[in-house]
Amino acid sequence: MKIIRINAVWCSGCLVMNKVWKEVEQIYPQLEIINYDYDMDYDFVKELKVGDVLPVAIFYHNNNEIKRLIGEKSKQEIIMVINKIEEVKNENN
Amino acid sequence: MKIIKKILFGLFIFLSLPFMIEAKEEVNIYLFHANWCGHCKEEIIFLNKIENEYDNIKIIKYEVSENTKNSNLMVKVKKELGVNGSGVPFTVIGEKVITGFGDENSTGKTIRLLIDYYSDNSHRDLTNEIITNGKLINQIKSPENLDILYDDEEVKRQIPILGEVDAKKVSLPLLAVVLGMIDGFNPCAMWVLLFLISMLIGTKDKKKMWTIGLTFIGTSALVYLLFMTAWLQIVLSVVEIRLVMIMIALFALFGGGFNVYTYFRDRNKDSGCQVVDENKRHKIFKQIRNFTSQKNMLLAILGTIALAFTVNLIEMACSFGLPATFTYILAINELSILETSIYIFIYILFFLLDDLIIFLIAMKTLSVTGMTTKYSKYSHLIGGIIMVIIGLLLLFNPGLLMS
Repeated sequence: MKIIRINAVWCSGCLVMNKVWKEVEQIYPQLEIINYDYDMDYDFVKELKVGDVLPVAIFYHNNNEIKRLIGEKSKQEIIMVINKIEEVKNENN
Repeated sequence: MKIIKKILFGLFIFLSLPFMIEAKEEVNIYLFHANWCGHCKEEIIFLNKIENEYDNIKIIKYEVSENTKNSNLMVKVKKELGVNGSGVPFTVIGEKVITGFGDENSTGKTIRLLIDYYSDNSHRDLTNEIITNGKLINQIKSPENLDILYDDEEVKRQIPILGEVDAKKVSLPLLAVVLGMIDGFNPCAMWVLLFLISMLIGTKDKKKMWTIGLTFIGTSALVYLLFMTAWLQIVLSVVEIRLVMIMIALFALFGGGFNVYTYFRDRNKDSGCQVVDENKRHKIFKQIRNFTSQKNMLLAILGTIALAFTVNLIEMACSFGLPATFTYILAINELSILETSIYIFIYILFFLLDDLIIFLIAMKTLSVTGMTTKYSKYSHLIGGIIMVIIGLLLLFNPGLLMS
């Protein structure tokens, strides 16, 4: 499962989420997480139409977006989303 | 012949004796008050009570908040007697002035002693002189000897020390801490500091990190200090005018109400960092990038100061007038300059507390730590509620806001 995370250096919410995502990665080592910076990679980020609240995490399954988490979320919320996507993936196979 | 003289003299003494005993000096008590002022009401109750205890006193009251003639008179009397500050109640008895009113057994006792003292001693009625001839013809010894309560030993010995703070009224230090923290917790300009710190960490130059970081925070404190002291001076000159108080009250009610509203409007909106509009953001980034990479330290510092000024003016506008309301409360409390500056200092210290913490952690760990923004929306709510309460108090019972 591919996840694109969009953060900003100046965003305190994103800094808090970095820690959360590190813990999530330990639980799900198989996740493919790609980080983008809202300012440095502005052209790419613009296409994703991210809106004005950061951080944003976009979940992909076979390269199409399934779910988008906006703003600060707790570890449980992220894990719940991942589990739900895993279930859907297993049913399809 | 000598006998006649003796008799005449005896007669004279005998005749003047009753006056000697009876001849109590007429004592006028001038009270400048405002009808919104709780302390003034307490003093008026006290004065009405003692009016029938003494037969030689006259109480003359001037309401200043809605009668410009009276407030002009107060200004003139204060100027002539060398009393600064514009607080009410302001009482003049003979040559003595009393600013403020504690309660019956502190200021009340002073007033009684002054009346007793003046009933037996002839004295100049300075207020009357100022009213009749517009100013003091022959100057009094020197204005400062008209210190608040007394100056001559005899009266001083009996008067208790005034000034126990009445706990039931609002405690200013607590208000300074709470409002300062709420103002500081408001994330309007936090993103600039975080970007600045991350750029500084990139330079790997500790000396530069300390100088630029502290300059930014120091200038932010300075901007707030300048704003609050300037606002204080403006407000101090109109503090008794009830109309001004009503405007400030409505300003606080509107500002506070708006923020309570925005809390409920965005309650279930995802809490995260609000992205400021693009060009403003890039302009500030460019500014930060060039002075953090600036070799010449002086230019770097100047760049930081300029940035801190602009950013903190935005922050001030965005923090819905909290500093302005707090400063107004200081103004109506007739504090000494020292006390006011201490409270402003406490406010600014707690306002910058979160910035300082983040900066110091960054210096130690060389990494930027962010505080969760989940609770920043609550700062809008709490700040809003406090502002609404202050607005209501200013409208209906300002006395409570005066320690």
